[in-house]
Amino acid sequence: MTLRMTRRSALACAVALTALPTAAAAEDAWPAAPLHVYVGFPAGSSPDTLTRIVTEPLAQRLGQPVVVENKPGAGGVIGIQQMLANAGDGLSFATTINGPLTTAARLMKSTGYDVATDIAPVTLIATSPLVLAVSAGSDFTDVESFVAAAGTEPEFLSYGSVGQGSGAHLTAELFADAAGVSLLHIPFTSYAEVTTSIVGGEIDAGFMAPSAALPQVEAGRMRMLGITSAKPFPQAPDVPVLAGRAGLSDDFRAELWNAFIAPAGTDPAIIARLNTEIGAILADPEVQQKLLAIGWQAAPGTPGDLADRIAADTAMWGAVIDRVVAKP
Amino acid sequence: MTTWEGLLYGIGFALQPAVLIYCVIGVVLGTFVGVLPGIGAMAAISLLLPITYYITPEAALIMLAGVYYGAQYGGSVASILMRLPGTPQSAVTSLDGYPLARQGRAGVALFTAMASSFAGSMIGIAVLVTLAGWLSHAATAFGAADYAAMMILGLVAASTIGSSSPAKGFAMVVLGLLLGCVGTDVNSGVQRFTFGRTELLDGINLVALAMGLFGVAEVIANVRDPDRQGVTGKIGGRQLLPRRDDLKRLPGPMLRGSALGSFFGALPGTGSTLSSFLAYALERRVSRRPERFGEGAIEGVSAPESANNAAAISAFVPTLTLGIPGDPIMALMLGALVIHGVQPGPMMLEARPEMFWGLVASFGIGNLLLLVLNLPLIGIWVAMLRIPFRWLYPAILIFLCLGVYSVRGLSFDILAVAAIGLAGYLLALARFSPALLLLGFVLGPLIETNLRRALLIGRGDPMIFLDRPIAAGFVLATVGLLALSLVQAWRRRRAR
Repeated sequence: MTLRMTRRSALACAVALTALPTAAAAEDAWPAAPLHVYVGFPAGSSPDTLTRIVTEPLAQRLGQPVVVENKPGAGGVIGIQQMLANAGDGLSFATTINGPLTTAARLMKSTGYDVATDIAPVTLIATSPLVLAVSAGSDFTDVESFVAAAGTEPEFLSYGSVGQGSGAHLTAELFADAAGVSLLHIPFTSYAEVTTSIVGGEIDAGFMAPSAALPQVEAGRMRMLGITSAKPFPQAPDVPVLAGRAGLSDDFRAELWNAFIAPAGTDPAIIARLNTEIGAILADPEVQQKLLAIGWQAAPGTPGDLADRIAADTAMWGAVIDRVVAKP
Repeated sequence: MTTWEGLLYGIGFALQPAVLIYCVIGVVLGTFVGVLPGIGAMAAISLLLPITYYITPEAALIMLAGVYYGAQYGGSVASILMRLPGTPQSAVTSLDGYPLARQGRAGVALFTAMASSFAGSMIGIAVLVTLAGWLSHAATAFGAADYAAMMILGLVAASTIGSSSPAKGFAMVVLGLLLGCVGTDVNSGVQRFTFGRTELLDGINLVALAMGLFGVAEVIANVRDPDRQGVTGKIGGRQLLPRRDDLKRLPGPMLRGSALGSFFGALPGTGSTLSSFLAYALERRVSRRPERFGEGAIEGVSAPESANNAAAISAFVPTLTLGIPGDPIMALMLGALVIHGVQPGPMMLEARPEMFWGLVASFGIGNLLLLVLNLPLIGIWVAMLRIPFRWLYPAILIFLCLGVYSVRGLSFDILAVAAIGLAGYLLALARFSPALLLLGFVLGPLIETNLRRALLIGRGDPMIFLDRPIAAGFVLATVGLLALSLVQAWRRRRAR
């Protein structure tokens, strides 16, 4: 014990000595080394590209390199695990889609972390709605005709998603419940597969990321019946919002999001600094444009806002999961 | 733009120095990452991604594509020389390539692989240019039932290759199918055999499995039995060059392999793996002396190499014409385009013809470069066999670990490769074929997912497999093949 104290105080002395010339700027000493931002998705994927759009200017603002660490797997959960494995250095952070923070705990036997006690929210980065897409050759021209047909008998219409418990799956079930119909779920593993199946006429519809559906719409192979955001989405401004139509309530809203997080116990000053810097980066119209091009709308906020969003979405999607997904 | 105008325009575009240099970088890098066991095109393209921000989208795509098909050339080197396939496709190549290397004919095997790769690519390009529209139609026409039926045919057709006894081959396929069950079930979301490990949620790492079963198992076998070390024949000199009767045997496998590869490659999913196995199985079936396969038959190297290179080219069909990436590497390349503000999709051909035709022309130029680059390298690769095993094998193990780690960056996978290696050694002792295990592992989950998906879509009615013409065709072919095998087995028994 004595030895440890001595070592620690010696270390403190050493730190104090090195910091002495700029003692006044002690607070600015962070970050003293490169930051590591873990991403639970492979390089080149949408969450990865989003992260790089944000971390490139972040590195300039902090005066330290920001290393993006791709640790793909388990729907993004492995990225968070890897961040937590390196927690404590004040330099390890993560960006993640909503799943690992809201639905993973219910979908998986064990994620190895507890969002409430292990994660410190920094800021929401961006949100993305989903569009209800059908083949261009389909009979449905609007969401009303789609819901009317779906109502003729249970599971009359089928839809594709990117997996059990994925945002696309849960959104579709939330929609079906709100519209009072039952749809047949066909799980796929990627939007590429869902697209092929819709265009090939094998399934009737799918809730898809706008950037996955738009190229097919432009080519005249797909049609978008509605969008799940509260307001029209700038990337696809002509697509009507679903809220208030076909029996859906006016506040119907389902969005995926991407957030910047830190391990719990991170110095609040560091979190505040990151929140400010990322907020400023996301206020830049050029950054907003880059994000929009890959289907994300910048949506910065306070750490508290993100905590609220996590809590609200955990409750909302949790109810859907309990209804439609088998227990792990 | 007609095809010829487009091609001429594309060749002019791709030969511009500012574009050509990236094609060269791509194919050279592709060759080298392909040679390093386990480090595939995926890792290399991920690393190159940040560089692409600073060059034009056309040059970026040409460079990344060069890595993609260049890696197919390199991939055969390690599997022929050291039985270290990084992918199931090159695992097929090692079935006869490695015995050839053992007999001191590594040069011939490598020459065959390079020449067949080149032929496959060129035929693939011809198919891409002339039949892209038809193939892209096929890609969307294939539904879950068709995929399931097609893969079952593939499994049945290829289930006896590389194995001395049908029963042992069948056992390995089934073991592969079982290992393929590990992970999250796509249809129900239920986690199977994961033992609570998140690392297993997406299944066993394919590279770890291939590296363990082939590479590590081979290293252990060689350490235990010093007589196995090194090659039996003389290396170098005349042995490097193919004999006239070798060359005469090549055109058939090249053409058949390329045809299979061109077709299956265009189907999103696992076309490339399936076509390699099928090409090998087909050669063995049409051969007058099928018993040579597995002992160093040159056709067994040529056919799968032609197939996987043709497939690497035709895999661009759905990507370029439909905007639908067929595999994760294609998705990564499309991601690179998105960063440049190019929206990949069905409209790309019309909106950016220079990109489409430039890329197609760069395939031709890149493959010529690869041939010119690789033929002289054969001597150097073969010389690696002279390295004493006490230096070579530790180095192999290190590269192998690097390769496995490069896939997901998880140390769990390194432990997995060690465990799989031990299991692979035990299997090899009992003369079980690891290639078939890989086939079952790759096709199993796809068959299961598509079979159940088809039944879901058909609302539980199995007639969906006979109502759809494509699926019905494959089912018929499978039944025919099984009947043929039974008849042959019966005749053989009666002859005895």
